[in-house]
Amino acid sequence: MAIRAIRVARTFEVGETAVAALRGIDLEVARGQFMALVGPSGSGKSTFLNLVGGLDRPTEGELWVDGVELSASKEKVLTEHRRRRVGFVFQGFNLLPRLTALENVSVPLLFVGVPERERLDRAAELLNQVGLGDRLDHRPTQLSGGEQQRVAIARALIGRPTIILADEPTGNLDSATGGEIMALLRRLNRAQGVTLLLVTHDTEAASFADRIVRLRDGQVVGTGLAEQMP
Amino acid sequence: MKVRDVFKTALGNLTRHRARAALTTVGVVVGILTIVTMVSLGVGVQREMKDAFGSVGLETLRLYPETEQATELDPFGKPKRIKLLTPELVAALQAREDVIEATAFLQLPYGMNMTLSLEGQEVQADPWGPRPASIPEPFSVPARTLAGVEDPPPGGGGVVVSDSLLLQLGSQPKELADLIGHQIELVLHAPRGESQAFRVKIAGITEREWNTVALSSPDRLAMLQWWYNDPDYLAHRGYDEVVVRARSLNDAVQIVSWLSAEGYEVQSLKMLLDMANRGMIIVQTMLGSVGAVALLVASIGIANTMIMAVYERTKEIGILKAVGAAPGQIRLLFVVEASLIGLAGGVLGTLLGWLLGLGLNWLILEILRWQEMPMQGTFFVVSWWLVLAALAFATLVGLIAGLYPAARAARLAPLDALRYE
Repeated sequence: MAIRAIRVARTFEVGETAVAALRGIDLEVARGQFMALVGPSGSGKSTFLNLVGGLDRPTEGELWVDGVELSASKEKVLTEHRRRRVGFVFQGFNLLPRLTALENVSVPLLFVGVPERERLDRAAELLNQVGLGDRLDHRPTQLSGGEQQRVAIARALIGRPTIILADEPTGNLDSATGGEIMALLRRLNRAQGVTLLLVTHDTEAASFADRIVRLRDGQVVGTGLAEQMP
Repeated sequence: MKVRDVFKTALGNLTRHRARAALTTVGVVVGILTIVTMVSLGVGVQREMKDAFGSVGLETLRLYPETEQATELDPFGKPKRIKLLTPELVAALQAREDVIEATAFLQLPYGMNMTLSLEGQEVQADPWGPRPASIPEPFSVPARTLAGVEDPPPGGGGVVVSDSLLLQLGSQPKELADLIGHQIELVLHAPRGESQAFRVKIAGITEREWNTVALSSPDRLAMLQWWYNDPDYLAHRGYDEVVVRARSLNDAVQIVSWLSAEGYEVQSLKMLLDMANRGMIIVQTMLGSVGAVALLVASIGIANTMIMAVYERTKEIGILKAVGAAPGQIRLLFVVEASLIGLAGGVLGTLLGWLLGLGLNWLILEILRWQEMPMQGTFFVVSWWLVLAALAFATLVGLIAGLYPAARAARLAPLDALRYE
């Protein structure tokens, strides 16, 4: 099992009131599966994604990712988790504006001590794979939204993660480009066996997934195969 | 993270806001410049003093007659001497085991009007000395001997004159050497209208821009006896100064305490050197404080710049953490960036401090030359250890200033940082 959540809860302190974003989620994602988390704003789907990515810790419950329990882990373990096991794709791309596409993709390897030559070689290879072989030296501002998201996907892949976490990856794109990005993610999931966890409220994007889980008010309210969901 | 990547990334971040980085550096430049100038001055002057005093020998001490305090009624009057430097004292000193030599000097009064006449021609002359060249003056430029001897013969009857004096009397530069052994007359003119000629021979010629005549002690004594109309001048006034060379520094200390107990006014070069060193320490401390304050202000500037940078890059820090940057690596990047600001200020400050030292050195020597007190020497010495220490110190200031902002950057929660706009 790639991801196993057992009664995972996350409560945020906002001033003096506690806001429950997740209220005890039980969920399993198999290795190599493409799962979409859908639900209205505030349903807790992004919160869950961030927990799986080690950007945040659950306040209750157990969260196992690739055999490692994250809720009780130290910062060092979470850093290692973000380096080796997961790759993020964000709605707003989150590229570093000063760096070229090639440098942006290579950044994660900087922190694990890979020499520059090797970093850039691997980044170029990945940019080729996502169809940007001719855009290596362009900066984010010189790229279209779809191209920026491809750069972000290449960056998510460079650490050879087992899980890709995509948070509304089509949110800032028109539907045609969004479709291309989803097709690319689907292809990577199929070809490389990467587990894919997608958070979206775009039903078209969710339709690419093997399985869809619906959240509302921090709880799972429905789950099923994509074609069975309304 | 590779060391090379750390520096490359930090340098890249630093050059994003060049103007801000440059302005932040200015504070460090001023601080380091002050400290480098101050330390190089201290090192240079102490070395010069040590050389100058060392060539004379620290075991040399000077003896002056004890005088009454000048009274309010007659502040410019010659104070009465209560403890004389008599020929007997000089003889006693010369007889001591721990004394190599004791030399007595007589000073001619400032108002003494002297002319030199050679073959009927007369020119104004200044008595020179009182010290012979064998007791060098610290920092002074030794005059070149053109002909004959360097010092007037101690037995009297011979003088060393400056070339300018002879040229003024109409001699040709080539003929100067022929004048050695020539008889001249030194004429003293008393305010009461009388004058007296003293016959002496030219024993040596030195190169000097003004008219000087170096006189031996017996000749000086003869002149003083006539001037004050006192054949027993020595018994009544004594010598003006006795220079004693002890066998060792320890002996010098012994002699100083003995003479002080006897009521003489003693100065040893070691005492002067110690006093000068104390003065230097005060100057150094003052300048050092200025540099320290400048550096303190500079470090606050660096901290401010780095805190601004953390705010500006909050989102970027979130992204870096999401892709695997450890808190320690974020901290390292910011600390190195702050240290680089310090280092840049250190490099520039050291360079400017060195140049300032060269400029001031030239200026000091030039001013002294204008005031006809020519000196030679290097008063600002920037050594390798000073350069390295200044660079290390500047870097350390940057590093310390960067610690707090870097810790803030490292502590940022990745999620909050990612959401920051």
